[in-house]
Amino acid sequence: MIRARDLKKHFKVHKRPPGFASAMRSLVSRKYEVVKAVDGVTFTIERGERVGFLGPNGAGKTTTLKVLSGLLHPTSGEVEVEGKVPFRRQTKFLEAITLVMGQKSQLIWDLPPSETYAMNRAVFDVPHEQFKETMAELTELLDLGPLLDKPTRQLSLGERMKCELAAALLHRPTTLFLDEPTIGLDVAMQVAIRDFVRSYNQKHDATVLLTSHYMDDVVALCPRIIVIDAGVLIHDGDLRQLIKTMDPDKRVTFTLTGVVAEDEITRLGSVLVRDGQRITLRVPEREIPAVVGHLLGPLKVADLAIEDPPLEEILRVMFGRAREAAAS
Amino acid sequence: MMRYLRLLLVQLRISAAAGMAYRADFLLEGVMSFASIGLTLLPLIVLYNGRETVAGWDAPSALIVMSYFMAVRAVLEGVVSPSFVDLVERIRSGAFDYVLLKPVDAQAMVSASRFEPWQVFHFLGAIAVAIYAFHQRGSAPELAHLALGLVLFVAGVLAMYSLWILCAAASFWVVRLDNLTYLLGSIFDTARWPVQVFPHVWRLVFTFVIPIAVMTTYPAMALLGRLEAQTALATIGGAIALLVISRLIWRAAIRSYTSASS
Repeated sequence: MIRARDLKKHFKVHKRPPGFASAMRSLVSRKYEVVKAVDGVTFTIERGERVGFLGPNGAGKTTTLKVLSGLLHPTSGEVEVEGKVPFRRQTKFLEAITLVMGQKSQLIWDLPPSETYAMNRAVFDVPHEQFKETMAELTELLDLGPLLDKPTRQLSLGERMKCELAAALLHRPTTLFLDEPTIGLDVAMQVAIRDFVRSYNQKHDATVLLTSHYMDDVVALCPRIIVIDAGVLIHDGDLRQLIKTMDPDKRVTFTLTGVVAEDEITRLGSVLVRDGQRITLRVPEREIPAVVGHLLGPLKVADLAIEDPPLEEILRVMFGRAREAAAS
Repeated sequence: MMRYLRLLLVQLRISAAAGMAYRADFLLEGVMSFASIGLTLLPLIVLYNGRETVAGWDAPSALIVMSYFMAVRAVLEGVVSPSFVDLVERIRSGAFDYVLLKPVDAQAMVSASRFEPWQVFHFLGAIAVAIYAFHQRGSAPELAHLALGLVLFVAGVLAMYSLWILCAAASFWVVRLDNLTYLLGSIFDTARWPVQVFPHVWRLVFTFVIPIAVMTTYPAMALLGRLEAQTALATIGGAIALLVISRLIWRAAIRSYTSASS
């Protein structure tokens, strides 16, 4: 279980304008500015939940994850993870959590990943039998077999990420903080990592808090999302519900097979994308049956697809509103 | 405790493996390492050429100081310094996060994260030099003096380690700190000479400010049976005090760790 109440993390940052003169001045007197990376965030995540943690760059996602995993002391507020206060960094707490950072590596660069695993086994004091069992499980789920004995520096980005995940999960943590675990990976690898996270979550009843720039990751993995912007929580709840409230209209995409008059199309809904014969319409949900009937009937379209609006779009609207609210 | 012992063994093995990952580098380092043992002794040979004593130290006694210097330096360059370089790199890249995420003491984990295996020969060389020096003197050290000499060696190593931990702690605030360790390294180099060789002011500095006398001269005097009991106790006390202070400052530094960007 993860609980944050009125969590704040402020940094004092040294500010100076560009140029040599100001660089000289800053040696003598410095101006500091307080950056409110996280500014009063409250949420609770139950054991076994998979939650997506979203926000634009610099919204405070990573800072929140770092506070939750005990790397940073919060400026104020209460934080509790697995029944412990993270920044005390008690052994029981650190044995129960893990933090995977897509941008940072814990694998030893010149040696095969198996050496990092041996090290983590010693650090976490994992009994030999359990280590063998976990290693076998991770090797199978992540298809690590051929990678274990290759030096890390020779692994591709995707292969390395799989090995990073294994290193982070060797001690079988029950709370997973995943910060951009799929960054830079191709689609096939993203799907593999996603599947793995889901099966780990189900098998070990682990709590997962995930940040990702790939909305597909979040849509596929997380029934619930928490959205923050400029350090402030702007949404916490069911993902589908959010999409429905923000934009209840569906996206209907199809390919025309013959010549159709323009007003025949615009009558059905507003055109969002037009790429030759391929068209995406925005259609209110209650009109879907009629529109689909018309498209498949008289218009004889091919490749028809009905989808929710993309999460990116929803978030763009949300962040826009949050900014306006902050400005007014 | 077992956890730390196992961790130490794994780190030792991994460092050796990492060192051997680049075969040519590893062998070259070995050759350089043997050459540097010889070069360490050269200034001493030059200094005592045609002189009986320098600042009250005859050549074999000064060799004892040198052997302590070589032994402490072997620990410094074999463990402390490579681990420190590794730590600074981790702080700069943000990979230090992964150290703090481990359920072991961060200081213990970073203090021996890297080893330079060849330094073992420097350590053995130091023992050989000490044996040769006693052979030149024509007498073996008394058992009590040997015991005290060993205790003070440990105290000297702790004092040296504490200075480096203070530097490491500073690197949390300053981040780029390579120059400070170079400076510390050059100051440590003076520990090859008995502290009495230096003018009075420097003697005070090297005893109380940057206690390099604690690392080599006093242990050597203990081994030679010339150290007063009070000085021995003060040396041990000083080393422990330095260790405690460095530990406290390290902990304060960890608290103010801001972790490099995502």
